[in-house]
Amino acid sequence: MELTISRAEILALLPAAILFFTGLMQLFLDLGKSSANTRSEKTHLAMIGVTGILLALASLFIQGVEPSSGALYAGAMTDDLFGRMGAGVIIITALFCSLMAGGYLASSGNNRAEFHSLICFSGGAMVLLCQATNLISIFVAIETLSLAVYVLAGYFKNHQASSEGAFKYFVLGAFSSGFLLLGMAFVYGASGGSISLADIAASATHDDTLFAVGTFLMVIGFGFKVGAVPFHSWVPDVYQGAPVLSVGWMAVAVKSASFFALFRFVLFTGGGQILAQILAAIAVVTMLLGNLAALNQLSLKRMLAYSGIAHTGYLLIPLVLAVSGSGAIAGASIPFYLISYAVTTLAAFGVIVAISVATDRDDVQDLNGLARTRPLLALGFTVALLSLAGVPLTSGFIGKLMIFSDAIEGGFLHLALIGIVASLISIYYYLRPVVAMWFKEPSTSFDLIPASWGVQFTVAVCAIATVALGLFPDWLVNLSKLSVHAILG
Amino acid sequence: MIPEFDSFNLPILSLIVLTPALVALVLCLVDRNNRALIRQLALMGSFLTLLFSLLMVANFDSNLGTMQLEEQHSWIESLGISYHLGVDGISILLVLLTCFTMPFVFLSTWAAIGDRVKEFHIALLLLQTGMVGAFVSLDLILFYLYYEAMLIPMYLIIGIWGGKERIYAALKFFIFTMVGSLLMFLGILYLYNHAGTFDLPVLMERLRTTHPLGSDQQLWLFLAFTLSFAIKVPLFPLHTWLPDAHVQAPTAGSVVLAGVLLKMGTYGLLRFAIPLFPEAAFDLQSMMAWLAIIGIVFGACMALVQNDIKKLIAYSSVSHLGFVVLACFIPNLEALTGAILQMVNHGLSTGMLFLMIGIIYERRHTRELADYGGICKVVPIFTIFFLLAVLSSIGLPGLNGFVGEFLLLYGVFSSVPLWGCLATTGVLLGALYMLNMVKKFLFGPLVHEENHHIEDLNTRELIYLIPFVVMMVWLGLYPAPFIKMVQPTLTLYVEMLQN
Repeated sequence: MELTISRAEILALLPAAILFFTGLMQLFLDLGKSSANTRSEKTHLAMIGVTGILLALASLFIQGVEPSSGALYAGAMTDDLFGRMGAGVIIITALFCSLMAGGYLASSGNNRAEFHSLICFSGGAMVLLCQATNLISIFVAIETLSLAVYVLAGYFKNHQASSEGAFKYFVLGAFSSGFLLLGMAFVYGASGGSISLADIAASATHDDTLFAVGTFLMVIGFGFKVGAVPFHSWVPDVYQGAPVLSVGWMAVAVKSASFFALFRFVLFTGGGQILAQILAAIAVVTMLLGNLAALNQLSLKRMLAYSGIAHTGYLLIPLVLAVSGSGAIAGASIPFYLISYAVTTLAAFGVIVAISVATDRDDVQDLNGLARTRPLLALGFTVALLSLAGVPLTSGFIGKLMIFSDAIEGGFLHLALIGIVASLISIYYYLRPVVAMWFKEPSTSFDLIPASWGVQFTVAVCAIATVALGLFPDWLVNLSKLSVHAILG
Repeated sequence: MIPEFDSFNLPILSLIVLTPALVALVLCLVDRNNRALIRQLALMGSFLTLLFSLLMVANFDSNLGTMQLEEQHSWIESLGISYHLGVDGISILLVLLTCFTMPFVFLSTWAAIGDRVKEFHIALLLLQTGMVGAFVSLDLILFYLYYEAMLIPMYLIIGIWGGKERIYAALKFFIFTMVGSLLMFLGILYLYNHAGTFDLPVLMERLRTTHPLGSDQQLWLFLAFTLSFAIKVPLFPLHTWLPDAHVQAPTAGSVVLAGVLLKMGTYGLLRFAIPLFPEAAFDLQSMMAWLAIIGIVFGACMALVQNDIKKLIAYSSVSHLGFVVLACFIPNLEALTGAILQMVNHGLSTGMLFLMIGIIYERRHTRELADYGGICKVVPIFTIFFLLAVLSSIGLPGLNGFVGEFLLLYGVFSSVPLWGCLATTGVLLGALYMLNMVKKFLFGPLVHEENHHIEDLNTRELIYLIPFVVMMVWLGLYPAPFIKMVQPTLTLYVEMLQN
């Protein structure tokens, strides 16, 4: 095999490479300094992080985006539109997380470079995951990002809940990697020894039990990462225990990257009708259980954990369609929904960061009267919650419209019906914080919630993006369609 | 005559829909302590909208029964959604009613709302955009957007500025309405998948010709749409949210709720549920009619035993809108004309009743009938206006209620005499509970000391009540121009249903 690297290959690797490099730089610069360092030095660190992330973002646009690109690095990765959309989501999420990290970490007294650099490391791995096109690179990327995220979950090492959550996440995550690897082995065997997705798609037949079981095991592996029922049990505990910012990062970036990779795999290979039926059942249970369990959560983080499970359920609907061979129908909804979910969830987590900095808690009642003390934060949070609930004029509505419409078109009317019932249930708990913010009077214990510049910026930009995508989604829908159709060929 | 401005090609409907939203945007920039400016701006905005709606009437050709003043632009092409507005005989009076009511609603809040004035006005303006938008949308998704967009401001209005139990009432209102609209949303998506368009005229054409629905599909889709509208109306037995919402809502909220929002349900039946799925509507005609009749009688009986005036009027709305629903399912010209006129009449008379209850509540802070009695001597002008509204609501000849009620009952009777007879009992009961309420409220001995010194109507209140009275008398004595606007459309509509 020749060892020459083409320009396209370098460019494809550039965003991830910049992120890794940024992470390293931050680590070295903070070497030997105590966490009690002056604020300005830490700001310095955050600045480097933001600059690096912006560079990574810019590197996505150095070369004009082609809907599809040839195999790079001997088929290990690609640089197509689908992958770049995934990379874009992750890098932008990393940007907002870094912007919020400074103020958040300073207030928690744990202001070290690790947090920044772990975001960059896991972000780089996620970008690779979105671009990976063979089993090995998928596995390596997913393990790299997992290691970094385990640490992020347990970042507050003196907090019992944080450590406990991280441990739980680690054990179950390692377990799920086992499933993933076993599934990959089966698929490898069933396809006559090929690791590249294109080769697998060419040689695998859906009637082959080995292949179907392998695909199912891989889906289980990913199912842990995205929190699909019944592999969701870690989600609420980890979300509640881990630092808010890590949770935001997990909820948005880990889930997006996993879904991008899973969709790419399924779009390539399909899976057959039996697998589609099993996945449909998982989707139904995930949507219903996620929403029902969220109903009586009083902690915002736990509520968003279950709501995240519910959204995984909605996202499984296009997955079912793709597995059953109607990927062309489900195409556009996948990247669109993930992007919409990312901006919406970031806006929500921005507010929760502000709340937990101010009160060290995250109960719904801590939001009481926020509309009086911080009207703009309250407005941003309201937009986010309404978008998560799928209320019109928000991007969440367009996303659900696409998913349910696709489900009907693909012949899964019952999935659309259950999805709608599930979103109906969700309205109840999404409204609870809205009620607290707008209808209740502020408690006397604190007058004003301080919100760092980063938090305000994040909430404002993400809330505006949520509404803008709800009003003018056309370009993104077309882009999503284009990206998926390019994969399907 | 008002000159024709159509040569300028003004997008009149868009102006009517978007002006309130634009004013709301402007209000966002105004200092929250400058209440006078906020109030004046909102009032001017709503008067401007009223002006535009008169312009719409001037450009509306009453001889045509088709969609007029249409505007169509591509919007979300990739999902087949377009910005398509239009107005015809079914919607024009409702648009007019909305634009007519809003300025006076704003005027009525000047004394009642003192807390978070800015937010209140923004919510009301956005509500107006939602209501008018829903009446003139000809794209199913666009309609759904406006239909839902009304929900949030109304939810906030009840939840923030409402009474003691406001949070419960607001949540109940939101969840009831959302249940219906999400099922309708599923129906809309199903229709899109079936016929490939969200555009209402195109969709109707395709359902009739190239993409007919099977009878099972019709039935389920009809139920999905009708459930949503029946909750909005509200049709018995889905009415339980209404008394709570009305009692807890501030005056302005009640007026808009009763005056306009409830009509969204009956309008939806006439515009979407029945013409899109005529066979299913025909199959379920008697079920819907019986529910409506039960609603008429039940609402009236409940109104008879209420002690809270607002709750009484709320139940009377259940009864009155039962008539309208009944008539919607009778495909003849008289019944349908009566239905549309009754929607307008109910908006005027109930709107005015709620305004006046708000006025007396501001002075006495109670709505219990037992706390009043004999106040006709203290507040004579108030009494005259209140009696006018009550008589209009009962359907006294010479006032607006009579014309609509007569046409409606005549239409129902000529089609199914039994239903006509049963519905007529609602009219009798209506007179009973209304006059009973007037007796306890205004007449009799003046027993309570506090009631000796109630201030009578002031100028501002007169200003916003007189237009209602003018419209009541106009519609009662000379309804011809209004009927003329409605009937060409309904003639075509009835023809279409009979095929």
